[in-house]
Amino acid sequence: MTLSIQREITEAVRPPRALYLRWPFGRPLGEAGHRNQQLHVLLAALELFASVREPGTIVAPEWPWRRTRFSDPLIEGSGPPHA
Amino acid sequence: MKVSADVPWAEATVPIERATLGLVTTGGVHLRSEAAFDMSDPRGDPSHRVLPADASPADLAITHDSYDKRAALRDINVVYPLERLRELVAAGRLGGLTERHVGLMGHVEDPLLPGLTGTTAPEVARLMRDQRADIVLLVPA
Repeated sequence: MTLSIQREITEAVRPPRALYLRWPFGRPLGEAGHRNQQLHVLLAALELFASVREPGTIVAPEWPWRRTRFSDPLIEGSGPPHA
Repeated sequence: MKVSADVPWAEATVPIERATLGLVTTGGVHLRSEAAFDMSDPRGDPSHRVLPADASPADLAITHDSYDKRAALRDINVVYPLERLRELVAAGRLGGLTERHVGLMGHVEDPLLPGLTGTTAPEVARLMRDQRADIVLLVPA
Protein backbone atom coordinates (compact mmCIF):
# COMPACT_ATOMS: atom_id res chain seq x y z
CA MET A 1 0.00 0.00 0.00
CA THR A 2 1.12 3.56 -0.45
CA LEU A 3 1.07 6.89 1.26
CA SER A 4 0.12 9.74 -1.03
CA ILE A 5 0.58 13.48 -1.01
CA GLN A 6 -0.61 14.04 -4.59
CA ARG A 7 -4.15 12.78 -4.94
CA GLU A 8 -4.45 13.33 -8.68
CA ILE A 9 -1.42 11.17 -9.35
CA THR A 10 -2.65 8.46 -7.00
CA GLU A 11 -6.02 8.44 -8.70
CA ALA A 12 -4.34 8.02 -12.07
CA VAL A 13 -1.91 5.31 -10.96
CA ARG A 14 -4.50 3.35 -8.93
CA PRO A 15 -2.39 1.55 -6.33
CA PRO A 16 -4.19 -1.19 -4.40
CA ARG A 17 -4.64 0.95 -1.27
CA ALA A 18 -3.60 4.52 -0.52
CA LEU A 19 -3.64 6.86 2.46
CA TYR A 20 -3.79 10.41 1.16
CA LEU A 21 -2.52 13.26 3.30
CA ARG A 22 -2.94 16.83 2.12
CA TRP A 23 0.45 17.81 3.47
CA PRO A 24 3.43 19.59 1.90
CA PHE A 25 5.77 17.79 -0.45
CA GLY A 26 8.69 16.25 1.33
CA ARG A 27 6.67 15.54 4.47
CA PRO A 28 4.60 12.40 3.85
CA LEU A 29 4.97 11.26 7.46
CA GLY A 30 4.59 14.76 8.82
CA GLU A 31 7.01 17.09 10.56
CA ALA A 32 10.58 16.34 11.47
CA GLY A 33 10.82 15.04 15.01
CA HIS A 34 7.06 14.73 15.42
CA ARG A 35 7.01 11.13 16.60
CA ASN A 36 3.31 10.98 17.47
CA GLN A 37 2.28 12.28 14.08
CA GLN A 38 4.50 9.81 12.28
CA LEU A 39 3.17 6.91 14.34
CA HIS A 40 -0.43 7.90 13.64
CA VAL A 41 0.23 7.96 9.91
CA LEU A 42 1.72 4.49 10.01
CA LEU A 43 -1.06 3.09 12.15
CA ALA A 44 -3.67 4.59 9.83
CA ALA A 45 -1.90 2.98 6.87
CA LEU A 46 -1.83 -0.40 8.61
CA GLU A 47 -5.50 -0.09 9.52
CA LEU A 48 -6.27 0.74 5.92
CA PHE A 49 -4.35 -2.29 4.73
CA ALA A 50 -6.27 -4.57 7.06
CA SER A 51 -9.74 -3.19 6.48
CA VAL A 52 -10.07 -2.13 2.85
CA ARG A 53 -11.67 -4.65 0.49
CA GLU A 54 -12.15 -2.56 -2.62
CA PRO A 55 -9.08 -2.32 -4.89
CA GLY A 56 -8.00 1.23 -5.57
CA THR A 57 -9.44 2.69 -2.37
CA ILE A 58 -7.99 6.03 -1.25
CA VAL A 59 -8.60 7.05 2.35
CA ALA A 60 -8.02 10.68 3.33
CA PRO A 61 -8.04 11.41 7.06
CA GLU A 62 -9.01 14.95 8.03
CA TRP A 63 -5.71 16.01 9.56
CA PRO A 64 -5.03 19.62 8.58
CA TRP A 65 -1.34 20.42 8.39
CA ARG A 66 -0.04 21.95 11.62
CA ARG A 67 -3.58 22.26 12.97
CA THR A 68 -4.00 18.67 14.13
CA ARG A 69 -3.04 17.45 17.58
CA PHE A 70 -1.51 13.98 17.71
CA SER A 71 -1.28 12.18 21.03
CA ASP A 72 0.99 9.19 21.63
CA PRO A 73 -0.91 6.32 20.01
CA LEU A 74 1.08 3.73 21.93
CA ILE A 75 -0.32 4.93 25.24
CA GLU A 76 -3.58 3.22 26.12
CA GLY A 77 -6.52 5.56 26.18
CA SER A 78 -4.90 8.25 24.07
CA GLY A 79 -7.44 9.82 21.78
CA PRO A 80 -7.53 10.07 18.00
CA PRO A 81 -5.94 12.99 16.18
CA HIS A 82 -8.07 16.11 16.23
CA ALA A 83 -7.89 19.63 14.85
CA MET B 1 -4.03 -13.06 -6.09
CA LYS B 2 -7.12 -11.38 -7.43
CA VAL B 3 -6.54 -8.91 -10.21
CA SER B 4 -9.24 -6.39 -10.77
CA ALA B 5 -9.64 -4.77 -14.14
CA ASP B 6 -6.83 -2.32 -13.59
CA VAL B 7 -5.67 -2.57 -9.97
CA PRO B 8 -3.32 -5.30 -8.71
CA TRP B 9 -4.71 -6.73 -5.52
CA ALA B 10 -3.74 -9.18 -2.81
CA GLU B 11 -5.97 -9.91 0.15
CA ALA B 12 -4.72 -9.11 3.62
CA THR B 13 -4.45 -12.63 5.01
CA VAL B 14 -2.32 -12.06 8.10
CA PRO B 15 -3.38 -9.92 11.07
CA ILE B 16 -1.28 -6.77 11.30
CA GLU B 17 0.04 -7.86 14.69
CA ARG B 18 1.65 -10.84 12.97
CA ALA B 19 2.44 -9.29 9.59
CA THR B 20 5.92 -8.62 8.20
CA LEU B 21 6.36 -5.26 6.50
CA GLY B 22 8.85 -4.15 3.87
CA LEU B 23 9.46 -0.45 3.34
CA VAL B 24 10.06 1.30 0.04
CA THR B 25 10.81 5.01 -0.14
CA THR B 26 11.12 7.18 -3.23
CA GLY B 27 12.82 9.89 -1.21
CA GLY B 28 16.29 9.15 -2.52
CA VAL B 29 17.51 7.33 0.60
CA HIS B 30 20.67 5.20 0.31
CA LEU B 31 23.57 3.99 2.42
CA ARG B 32 26.30 6.61 2.79
CA SER B 33 28.79 3.90 1.90
CA GLU B 34 27.16 3.23 -1.46
CA ALA B 35 26.81 5.21 -4.67
CA ALA B 36 24.39 8.09 -4.56
CA PHE B 37 21.59 8.40 -7.08
CA ASP B 38 22.72 10.09 -10.26
CA MET B 39 21.69 13.72 -10.18
CA SER B 40 23.69 14.64 -13.28
CA ASP B 41 20.99 13.29 -15.59
CA PRO B 42 17.97 15.65 -15.62
CA ARG B 43 15.75 12.70 -16.55
CA GLY B 44 16.46 11.08 -13.20
CA ASP B 45 17.78 7.73 -12.03
CA PRO B 46 15.62 4.59 -12.18
CA SER B 47 17.91 2.42 -10.06
CA HIS B 48 17.26 1.25 -6.52
CA ARG B 49 19.31 0.75 -3.38
CA VAL B 50 18.88 -1.99 -0.82
CA LEU B 51 18.67 -0.65 2.72
CA PRO B 52 19.59 -3.09 5.51
CA ALA B 53 17.06 -3.04 8.31
CA ASP B 54 19.82 -2.53 10.89
CA ALA B 55 21.12 0.66 9.25
CA SER B 56 20.99 3.61 11.62
CA PRO B 57 20.04 7.11 10.47
CA ALA B 58 23.73 8.00 10.57
CA ASP B 59 24.41 5.27 7.99
CA LEU B 60 21.94 6.80 5.54
CA ALA B 61 22.03 9.70 3.13
CA ILE B 62 19.49 11.37 0.86
CA THR B 63 20.20 12.21 -2.76
CA HIS B 64 17.22 13.80 -4.52
CA ASP B 65 16.89 17.24 -6.08
CA SER B 66 13.15 17.29 -6.74
CA TYR B 67 11.64 17.88 -3.34
CA ASP B 68 12.26 19.99 -0.26
CA LYS B 69 14.56 17.71 1.75
CA ARG B 70 15.01 19.94 4.79
CA ALA B 71 12.59 18.02 7.00
CA ALA B 72 13.91 14.65 5.85
CA LEU B 73 17.53 15.69 6.46
CA ARG B 74 16.62 16.66 10.03
CA ASP B 75 14.61 13.48 10.59
CA ILE B 76 14.83 10.70 8.02
CA ASN B 77 11.62 9.16 9.41
CA VAL B 78 9.77 11.83 7.45
CA VAL B 79 10.44 9.83 4.25
CA TYR B 80 11.85 6.59 5.62
CA PRO B 81 10.04 5.82 8.89
CA LEU B 82 12.06 2.78 9.91
CA GLU B 83 12.58 3.90 13.50
CA ARG B 84 8.85 4.49 13.90
CA LEU B 85 8.09 1.08 12.41
CA ARG B 86 10.51 -0.53 14.85
CA GLU B 87 8.55 1.13 17.66
CA LEU B 88 5.34 -0.37 16.34
CA VAL B 89 6.92 -3.80 16.24
CA ALA B 90 8.24 -3.38 19.79
CA ALA B 91 4.76 -2.33 20.92
CA GLY B 92 3.20 -5.40 19.32
CA ARG B 93 1.22 -3.33 16.82
CA LEU B 94 3.07 -4.84 13.84
CA GLY B 95 4.50 -8.34 13.55
CA GLY B 96 7.91 -7.55 12.13
CA LEU B 97 10.03 -5.99 9.42
CA THR B 98 11.88 -7.49 6.50
CA GLU B 99 15.68 -7.54 6.75
CA ARG B 100 16.10 -5.41 3.67
CA HIS B 101 14.16 -2.37 2.53
CA VAL B 102 14.43 -0.27 -0.61
CA GLY B 103 15.32 3.27 -1.56
CA LEU B 104 14.37 4.80 -4.89
CA MET B 105 14.80 8.27 -6.29
CA GLY B 106 11.30 9.24 -7.37
CA HIS B 107 12.12 11.58 -10.25
CA VAL B 108 12.24 9.47 -13.41
CA GLU B 109 11.24 10.56 -16.91
CA ASP B 110 11.26 9.01 -20.36
CA PRO B 111 13.30 7.45 -21.79
CA LEU B 112 14.36 6.11 -18.38
CA LEU B 113 10.86 5.01 -17.32
CA PRO B 114 11.12 1.53 -18.88
CA GLY B 115 14.16 0.95 -16.67
CA LEU B 116 12.02 1.76 -13.65
CA THR B 117 8.96 -0.24 -14.61
CA GLY B 118 10.65 -3.08 -16.48
CA THR B 119 13.77 -3.69 -14.38
CA THR B 120 13.74 -1.95 -11.01
CA ALA B 121 10.10 -2.54 -10.06
CA PRO B 122 10.23 -6.32 -10.72
CA GLU B 123 13.52 -6.57 -8.79
CA VAL B 124 12.01 -4.75 -5.83
CA ALA B 125 8.91 -6.95 -5.97
CA ARG B 126 11.08 -10.08 -6.04
CA LEU B 127 13.10 -8.82 -3.08
CA MET B 128 9.97 -8.29 -1.04
CA ARG B 129 8.44 -11.57 -2.11
CA ASP B 130 11.62 -13.50 -1.31
CA GLN B 131 11.60 -11.98 2.18
CA ARG B 132 7.96 -13.04 2.57
CA ALA B 133 6.70 -9.54 3.19
CA ASP B 134 2.99 -9.54 4.00
CA ILE B 135 2.79 -5.79 3.51
CA VAL B 136 4.89 -3.44 1.39
CA LEU B 137 4.55 0.22 2.32
CA LEU B 138 5.52 2.75 -0.34
CA VAL B 139 6.42 6.18 0.97
CA PRO B 140 6.61 9.02 -1.57
CA ALA B 141 8.51 12.22 -1.08
